[in-house]
Amino acid sequence: MTVAPATRETGALARFGTALRRHKMASLGGGIVVLAALSAIFAPWLSPHDPLEQDVLLRLAGPSADFPLGNDSFGRDILSRILWGGRVSLYVSTASVLIAIVLGGAIGILAGYVGGLFDRIVMAAMDVLLSFPTLVMGLLVVAMLGPTVGNLILAITLTAVAPFARIARAPTLTIKERDFIEAGRALGFSNLRIMIVHILPNVIDEILVMASLWLATAIRTEASLSFIGLGVRPPTATWGGMIREGFENILDQPLLAIFPSIAILVVMFGLNMLGDGLRDTSDPRLRHE
Amino acid sequence: MSDASGRELALDVRGLTTEFRINGRWYPAVRDVSFALKRNETLALVGESGCGKSITALSIMGLVPKANGRVAAGQVLLDGRNLLALSEQQMEKIRGGAIAMIFQEPMTSLNPVLPIGFQVAEALRYHTDLSESEAKARALELLQHVKIPSAARRITDYPHQFSGGMRQRVMIAIALACNPRVILADEPTTALDVTIQAQVLALLAELKAETGLAMIFITHNLGVVASIADRVAVMYAGDIVELAEVGELFRRPTHPYTEALLASIPRVDRDAGDLKPIPGQVPPITAMPAGCRYADRCPLREPRCTQESPPLSPLADSAEHFARCWVRAGTGGSAA
Amino acid sequence: MLTYIVKRLLVGVPTLLAVLTVVFFFVRIAPGDPAFIILGDQASPQALAAVRHDLGLDQPMLAQYADFMAMVLRGDLGNSLVTHQSVWGEVAKVLPYTIELTLTALAIGTVLGLPLGVLAARRRNEFIDYAARFLSLLGLSFPAFVSAILLLLAFAIELRWFPVISEARANDPMSRLSALALPAVNLGLIMVAYVMRVARSSMLGVLGEDYIRTARSKGVPAGIVVWRHALRNALIPVVTVVGLYLGVLIGNSVLTEIVFNRPGLGKLIVNALNQRDYTMLEGLMVIYAFFIVIANLLTDLTYGMVDPRVKHQ
Repeated sequence: MTVAPATRETGALARFGTALRRHKMASLGGGIVVLAALSAIFAPWLSPHDPLEQDVLLRLAGPSADFPLGNDSFGRDILSRILWGGRVSLYVSTASVLIAIVLGGAIGILAGYVGGLFDRIVMAAMDVLLSFPTLVMGLLVVAMLGPTVGNLILAITLTAVAPFARIARAPTLTIKERDFIEAGRALGFSNLRIMIVHILPNVIDEILVMASLWLATAIRTEASLSFIGLGVRPPTATWGGMIREGFENILDQPLLAIFPSIAILVVMFGLNMLGDGLRDTSDPRLRHE
Repeated sequence: MSDASGRELALDVRGLTTEFRINGRWYPAVRDVSFALKRNETLALVGESGCGKSITALSIMGLVPKANGRVAAGQVLLDGRNLLALSEQQMEKIRGGAIAMIFQEPMTSLNPVLPIGFQVAEALRYHTDLSESEAKARALELLQHVKIPSAARRITDYPHQFSGGMRQRVMIAIALACNPRVILADEPTTALDVTIQAQVLALLAELKAETGLAMIFITHNLGVVASIADRVAVMYAGDIVELAEVGELFRRPTHPYTEALLASIPRVDRDAGDLKPIPGQVPPITAMPAGCRYADRCPLREPRCTQESPPLSPLADSAEHFARCWVRAGTGGSAA
Repeated sequence: MLTYIVKRLLVGVPTLLAVLTVVFFFVRIAPGDPAFIILGDQASPQALAAVRHDLGLDQPMLAQYADFMAMVLRGDLGNSLVTHQSVWGEVAKVLPYTIELTLTALAIGTVLGLPLGVLAARRRNEFIDYAARFLSLLGLSFPAFVSAILLLLAFAIELRWFPVISEARANDPMSRLSALALPAVNLGLIMVAYVMRVARSSMLGVLGEDYIRTARSKGVPAGIVVWRHALRNALIPVVTVVGLYLGVLIGNSVLTEIVFNRPGLGKLIVNALNQRDYTMLEGLMVIYAFFIVIANLLTDLTYGMVDPRVKHQ
């Protein structure tokens, strides 16, 4: 009883196709995000009009040749305002998530490294922060400290720090046991640096997944606060503010609310797809689908 | 491998081939495996990790994960019915009833949110006419039979309240509940302490004697094989490479792999310096060679071995002893 | 089980005290003087001092803290700086609306989300799985106020199935129901997205466990394997997520109430923020603290019911 020889063309092509299929979600999401970010960064050049320029005659006008998406209640160009609104969202979300990663990472590593009572106190503080939903925290901070971009970033960072601290702390604990148990209480900057070097490659996957999800949360929170009226002050264009305006004029010109809604929806959908796709490709259990 | 009369066989496996999909292509993990299990016989299925012994058992039970596995060919005859041809519904009536399986990991093989008594009685509810209270009574009997202390009190306890050895006994009780004709035991003692191992093996031997059931015992431990098996099938890289009665196998290991396995066991009466590991490695499932799969590591390798895969043939002087080897077992007779 | 409940209650108390303390300090670090707010900036220094004395703001911090705690435990949350009505009174007026909205949303979320998640897990990688995953991802991408506005636009303004301005009359069940519908659907659908995802991934994880293989090896029919063996185990992470989701639900409720002009705690919060009504804010945060602790307790209790290992810790 003989068996036919197994052909060797496991095919680099076949493997590539599988990888592409798996990464489809992540790349599609990533593509959307990159496009959105670029349009926000290049808004000054892409906008056909000045986002603050008013024209009473064009108040709540629908789409036209000059103004592809129509005009808002002050006659301003909706398309330009959406592009510029993207800048606010981009700025607030990336700033808060980056700070949260750096700060949270530092806190997590420090707490894990030092251990003991310090660790317990820090983690308890993180738990308290975790019990505040981001929007509620945003409401509180803005109410107490005023509606500035800085305070918005502060509020979001406060809630985002805890998850990143957790991500950084777990491998710290493991590595601490492994590498330093013989050295006893080894103190010294070089030891800390070695630990960080070990930790980073392990957590990069998790951090990327978390980061894309928190970018979405940040954008949503900023928009929600602007909608309530506690966000970045007008006349600066923000997606949330535009939707608020659209809500106030919803019976006269629904498009004013619809277009910025689509903008937020697309960006958040892209970020969620990116986060999901990244999570799927990094989870070994799901790899053999 | 022919049998005197079909009725003496508890299970007849013919040409079983099970494949897995890796990176889009199907590769056989179990290739053309055939053996017959007689009534009240213990057949040991021996081999190193990854040789396909567990998959063989799962294939018989119809439990190969469907996501990327499939039984590609063969027949598994139980009472003349081919299990592989049955629908899922029909198979559900057989599993736990006529055939039962004991798994390797007692710590994770019991449902943590259901009481032990319920899990033991469950099979009875699907394979017999017993009422709920009758099934419960029978479950208690079974737990006592596998020597769970204070069974009456503990029948409502949950798995996490039992030790590993106890949980494995519960698994045995579950498997025995409906008086199966065949039990597939997949390394039931590997995850247990040595002392507990001995107890569980003794229990299995006792139960086998009492009920006359046939057992396929999967293990990589040749010591266990020597103590409980009637016949042994040695597997390597998805093939059965040797099949013989247990004493015969230990006296005259014929296939070079079997020989090497026996020689590599550390013994108390020999120096550690005499340890003889087998050189080389098992070929990966995605790159199996065309000829004999063991040829690469075999000291007896001849040119023919790398070109053509040998059939499982009986030895010239022993019709019940089979080996898959061109050098040692020529081409006499026919392999099933 | 009883000892378990008592233990969880005991853990809840220090948490509550900690959060209340945070509330206390949070309100007092805010810039701005409540006295100015009440009297306006034309008031004389004496009048301002009198109001500060009334509010107890001229006492040392520790005394204020003690007073605050005493008041909370008495159930007295003070009076609104704006309306001069008792905070608790204002809250009690709108509480029924918030409760009915929250419970309805929770019901929609679990009743629809769980079966969908289980179905997607059982039919993994088939069309219905992809469709469910896509839709739930989409659902998560709608900020609550965006979906609310779109629902309003579609069903109230265009189709006229529901009133644009909701007039929930307490004694007219039909009008209450029609005022409840769109807000509840808004909150509920978002929650379906969350629950469906975690139910699916949790169920997939459970279906791969060894004890499921054991159940199948006993010949238990496939449907019963899912229903009796898998589901209870899969529920455990779902309970966790629903517990965490309650916080998100609060934020979404606030937004939903604004869009649908619905009475509830959300509007109270926003008005209090806009008007710098510190007493009201403080009172609302106290209520929020209690809510969090009770929600945690309920979550723990549900664990206890579903997972026997928890009770024996």
